[in-house]
Amino acid sequence: MNRRPRRRARVLAQVVATLVAAVYLFPLVSAVLVSGEGGEGYAKNYWVVLTESPLLRFARNSLVIVIGTVSITYVATMLAAYAFAKVRPVGNKTLYYMVLAALTLPAISLIVPLFAMVQRFNLFNNYFAVILPLAATSVPFTVLLTRNFMEGVPNELLEAAEIEGASSFRALLHIVLPLAKPISAVVIVWTLLGSWNEFFLPLLFFQDPSMQVVTQVPTYFTGVYSQDTPKVFAALILISMPVVITYLSMQRYFERGLTAGALK
Amino acid sequence: MTVETVAPRPRSVRNLRLHGLLYLLPALLLVLGIVYAGIGYTGWTSFYQWDGLSPTKKFVGWGNYQRMLDDKVLWRALRHVGIFAVLTIFLQMAIGLGMAMLLRRGLVAGAAVYKAIMFIPVVMAPAVVATVFRDIMNPDGWMQSRMAENGLGALVHPWLADPKTALYGIVAINIWQWTGFSFVLYQAALAQVDEGLFEAASIDGASALQQLWYVLLPQLRTAHLTLIMTGCIGSLKTFDIVLLTTGGGPGRASEFLTTYIYKQAVVQFRAGYSAALSVLMLVVAVTITVIQMRLARLGED
Repeated sequence: MNRRPRRRARVLAQVVATLVAAVYLFPLVSAVLVSGEGGEGYAKNYWVVLTESPLLRFARNSLVIVIGTVSITYVATMLAAYAFAKVRPVGNKTLYYMVLAALTLPAISLIVPLFAMVQRFNLFNNYFAVILPLAATSVPFTVLLTRNFMEGVPNELLEAAEIEGASSFRALLHIVLPLAKPISAVVIVWTLLGSWNEFFLPLLFFQDPSMQVVTQVPTYFTGVYSQDTPKVFAALILISMPVVITYLSMQRYFERGLTAGALK
Repeated sequence: MTVETVAPRPRSVRNLRLHGLLYLLPALLLVLGIVYAGIGYTGWTSFYQWDGLSPTKKFVGWGNYQRMLDDKVLWRALRHVGIFAVLTIFLQMAIGLGMAMLLRRGLVAGAAVYKAIMFIPVVMAPAVVATVFRDIMNPDGWMQSRMAENGLGALVHPWLADPKTALYGIVAINIWQWTGFSFVLYQAALAQVDEGLFEAASIDGASALQQLWYVLLPQLRTAHLTLIMTGCIGSLKTFDIVLLTTGGGPGRASEFLTTYIYKQAVVQFRAGYSAALSVLMLVVAVTITVIQMRLARLGED
C-alpha cells in the first residue's frame, strides 16, 4: 500500500466508486425526472406548485421554526459552554454531565409529557410547542461541541481582559465569541438542518392546515394532488433545495460537526 | 475523550462561583424543564391507566409493565428494531469504509463529487426520502412501471406492501440515507492513520488483506465504536421513514418501537401504556450508552 498504485488498480477503483455512487445518485435523479412528468414539463409543474399550492406558506412556517430554534439554541449553547469551559461555577461538573446525559434521548419518548403540556397550556398551533422541545433536544449536542472548543481558548486572554477591567460577560462577547466563530457555524448549520427537517413535533402539534411545515408536504400534498405525483415530487425537490445548497456551500462545517462530535 | 484542564480558571471569573450559574440558566431551563421534567412525567404516567385527555387517571401500579411481557406486538417491534440495527449498521459501515478507502490518496478522479453524492442524502429530510422511495418501491411507480415495459417485469415487486419484504425495504432506505455519515467519519479517521505501520507490515510480508484486517481496521476502532453506538441509538429513534412508508405495516410487519409508542398515544389513546413503552425505550438507550462508554474506556487502557 506504500507503493504508488498501479494503473489497473486505479481504473478498477474508479469503476467501483462510480458504480456505488451511481446507485446512491439514482433515487435523486429519479425524483427529479418524476417531477417533470405529466406532459406539462418541469417549468409548468414547478410553477404550479409555487403559485397555486400552499408550499410557500409551509416554507415560511418552517423558516419561523428554524429561526426560533437556531437562535434559542445558539444563545443557550454559547452561554452554557462558556460557563462549563471557563467560568466553572459551583456544581458545573454535575450539571455538565446532566446536560450530556440527555444526548441520546429519543424525542419520541417524550410524547406523553409534551402532549400533556401542550394541551394544558393550549399551545396547539403555537410555534413554541415545536421550537422549545427542538431546542431542548439540540442543546446537549451543541453544548458538548462548543464546550470542548472553548476549553482551547487560552486563559491568559481572559486574564488580560480582566486587567483592563472587562466583566466576564464582556470577555465572552469580545474575546471568546470571535474566537469561537468556526464552532458557532457548526452549531448553526446542524441546528438549522435538524429543525428544517423535523417531522415528528409539527405532526403532533400543528393541526391547523395553515400551520403545516415543509416536512408535511408529502402527507398534505398527496391528499390534495392524489393523482399528480409529479407535482408532489416538484414540491419535494423545492423543499430539499435549501438544505442541499446549504450543505454544498458549507460542506466543511457539516463534516466538522460530525467528526468533532463523534471522533473526540 | 475530553481532556480535563488543570489550569486554574482565569482570575477575571474567579469570584463567579455562584452568579456564574446565570450563564447556565437558559440551557438548564431547556434541558431540565423539558427533557428531565418530561422523563419524570413519563415515569409517573406509566403507572396509570389514562387516555391522555380526561382529567382522571386510574392508578394501576406495575400493570402497564406487566402487560408488556405478554404484548406480542411489542416483542415483534423490538425484534424488527434489532434486525434493522444489525443490517443497517453493518452494511453502512462496510459500504462507507469501502468508499472512503477507494476515494483516499487520489486513487480516483473526482472524489469530491462522489463524496457530495454520498452525503446529500444525509442532509435531506427523512420525510422527503420516504416519499421518493415509496414511489421507487411501488410497482405502479415511475421506475418499476418502466422496468415492466422493458422486460424487467420479474423484478417488479411491491417491496413495502409485502409483509415479507417491508422491513427490508425500510432497511434499504436507511442505508441509502445514512451511508454518507459512515463514509465521512471513516474518511476523517483514515486521514489520521499512521502510514508507517503499513510500510512496516508490508516489509514483514503481510498481504493487502492482512494489512487491512490486522493493521487498518484496529486503527479505526474509535470510528467503528462511534458508528455502532450512533447506529444503535439511531435505529431505536427511527420513526419518520417508517411512519411515511409502511406506517409499521402491512399489519405489524414493520412495526418499530417508536411507531408503536406513537400509535398507542395518538391513535389508541393509551397514554399510560405509551409512557411505559417510552420508559422501556429510555432504559434501552441509556444501557447502550453506558455499554459504549465502558467499551471506549477499555480501549484506552
